[in-house]
Amino acid sequence: MKVIKAIYNFIVGDMIILIGVIIAMLILALIYNVAALTPLRAISGVILVIAVLGVLSATLLREARGKR
Amino acid sequence: MQWAVLTAAFLASAVEFVEAFTIVLVVGVTINWRSSLAGAFGAAATLALIVATLGVAIVQFVPIDVLRLTVGIILILFGLKWLKKAILRYSGLKALHDEEAIFEETRAELRARGETIERRFEPFGIALSYKAVLLEGLEVAFIVITFGSSAATNVCNNTCGISSAAIGAAIAGILVILAGLLVRAPLTRVPENTLKFVVGVMLTTFGTFWAGEGFGVAWPYADAFLLVLAAIYLLASFVLVTTLKQHKQRQVALADATQDSLETPEQEVLH
Repeated sequence: MKVIKAIYNFIVGDMIILIGVIIAMLILALIYNVAALTPLRAISGVILVIAVLGVLSATLLREARGKR
Repeated sequence: MQWAVLTAAFLASAVEFVEAFTIVLVVGVTINWRSSLAGAFGAAATLALIVATLGVAIVQFVPIDVLRLTVGIILILFGLKWLKKAILRYSGLKALHDEEAIFEETRAELRARGETIERRFEPFGIALSYKAVLLEGLEVAFIVITFGSSAATNVCNNTCGISSAAIGAAIAGILVILAGLLVRAPLTRVPENTLKFVVGVMLTTFGTFWAGEGFGVAWPYADAFLLVLAAIYLLASFVLVTTLKQHKQRQVALADATQDSLETPEQEVLH
């Protein structure tokens, strides 16, 4: 458990960033592997950028609220 | 030579080496330079070994698509972590990294422990210096490996990308050591947060690009789209810094107003 925690702290150390990026990657994986979602492939780059910006904003917002 | 990789590794290394240098310096002046440098060089050798073995192994045995996707995700995670810290510091929500304060604090700890200047090798000094350089450098080693290995698949041969990144890190290390030798004090004038911010934007940009490519995203204008991505992240970061600054000002104003309203009529009369 200590090893996992050390790796988590070393790579990211922030649950919102970790979960957010995992969700973004899962969405992209779905887009590229589910036939019904093929039309979304054209905007998958945009989805990825928006997801990254969303994750950054969310974690900063959490920090700002925590500083009250 | 991969200039983007070299620059990113250089900037990332500069930040981490400045932080490690402070501890090496404090061990040097409080215990002795022999122990401090032995620990620092030992850690540098360990880091070089990690980059050489792990880096080459990753490039040779991991398929390109898997490598790009994995590296992309790791770089996004690293990039967002660095960017978050830099934005919080710019907006005043987190204190700026103060090398002078860290230097004084560590020196006080060592003196409280009864450490004095001696000529012989001191195991505690070696261990402290080794740990500081290794911990600060480990993140850089990871960036060198991931960044370098993924760049190697685009233009250079297998080891070219990692070599470029390693050269960038080595130049930063040498510059920090030279600056330290000249100044003989904590390197407080290095704009650490700006470097962190630039590296954060670079890592997030390359991470997004490579993770997208790993999935099969066809970026417009191919590699030139990296500049567009960097511009988007830069712009978004400035907006976030401004927003957070305003948020902090509002919080301060609200706290002041609450403080005023809590004052009793007697206190108001006294004022």
